[in-house]
Amino acid sequence: MTTRLIVASLTIAASVVFAEVEISPPESATQAEGLDAWSRIFDVASHPRCANCHTGPSDRPMWSGPTYGTTRPHGMNIQAGDSRMGVEYLQCSTCHTTKDTDWDNANLMPHAAPRVAMGWALAPVEADWFGKTSDEICAQLRDPDLNGGRDMLEIAEHLNHDLILHWAWNPGGGREPAPYSLQEHVDDILIWGVAGMPCPES
Amino acid sequence: MRLTVNGTEHEVDVTSDMPLLWVLRDELNITGPKYGCGIAQCGACTVHVDGFAVRSCQLAVGDLAGGHVTTIEGLASPEGLHAVQEAWIEHQVAQCGYCQSGQIMQAASFLETNPEPTDEDIDAAMSANLCRCGTYPRIRAAVHAAAKKLQEA
Repeated sequence: MTTRLIVASLTIAASVVFAEVEISPPESATQAEGLDAWSRIFDVASHPRCANCHTGPSDRPMWSGPTYGTTRPHGMNIQAGDSRMGVEYLQCSTCHTTKDTDWDNANLMPHAAPRVAMGWALAPVEADWFGKTSDEICAQLRDPDLNGGRDMLEIAEHLNHDLILHWAWNPGGGREPAPYSLQEHVDDILIWGVAGMPCPES
Repeated sequence: MRLTVNGTEHEVDVTSDMPLLWVLRDELNITGPKYGCGIAQCGACTVHVDGFAVRSCQLAVGDLAGGHVTTIEGLASPEGLHAVQEAWIEHQVAQCGYCQSGQIMQAASFLETNPEPTDEDIDAAMSANLCRCGTYPRIRAAVHAAAKKLQEA
């Protein structure tokens, strides 16, 4: 676990530079430290910026959180379909356009559809987190059958490479960002992983 | 900056962050796509980029990445109207007409990926295109009719 891996910033277009995330697992971590890290991971995973698009077989993204009033499915009868990108009906990218340039100013307008430098989509159906408890999400995230076959480092690298996840900490438009920072979240993933991915008792 | 709209290449002197809708209407005088809300809530500005429906108020012209734009003015072919346009006329869908170019462009894109839609499919694809006149039953009937035309073509 002494590997010190610096993942270079992902550059989709020449003009787009994203913050680097350092992937540096600790030498060791106790179960208590792992559970403490998990509690913060859950704060992120259950936050509307993340959970709203971590929905299950309904294929419907959600609108919830401080800027959305009552919790409800995404307006306009949006259904992401089996593709999870709306290909069968209305593609997410019809409104959530791909923004390759001028990243800092991509999402200034309140109520406009957020956009990043990649295709907008729901998380895979097995990553159904919306409304679930800490122990339920924890059990899902440590199960390779439910987390995309990822180990701890691959989860951390996924967080670095998926630009929709980057958006969660820089959502713009008056939306509340996910708690902590992307780097702190990645650090917590690594602490939790080194500790053996402990989950709270239900 | 160069962009291709309805098969014609244009040179425009605009900043890269200008929404495509502004470029179409104010720079190229292509006024079929309408301004409704400016935040992807209504669909009146819908055009195609490489055949896929896009809200042109949300796409910065600098992000076109060489994509070819088609507006309602370029949907028909020299041989005749697009099947969705024909169906729109046959079903007399439009009332005030403000939303219809966006509705037609959305429907045409949708039928490319879902050629035999159910009522529920149509509702899922078209609910983000608002019609203040409430012509939704005629929109649904016209989309079904257009699907049939495209299958028989």
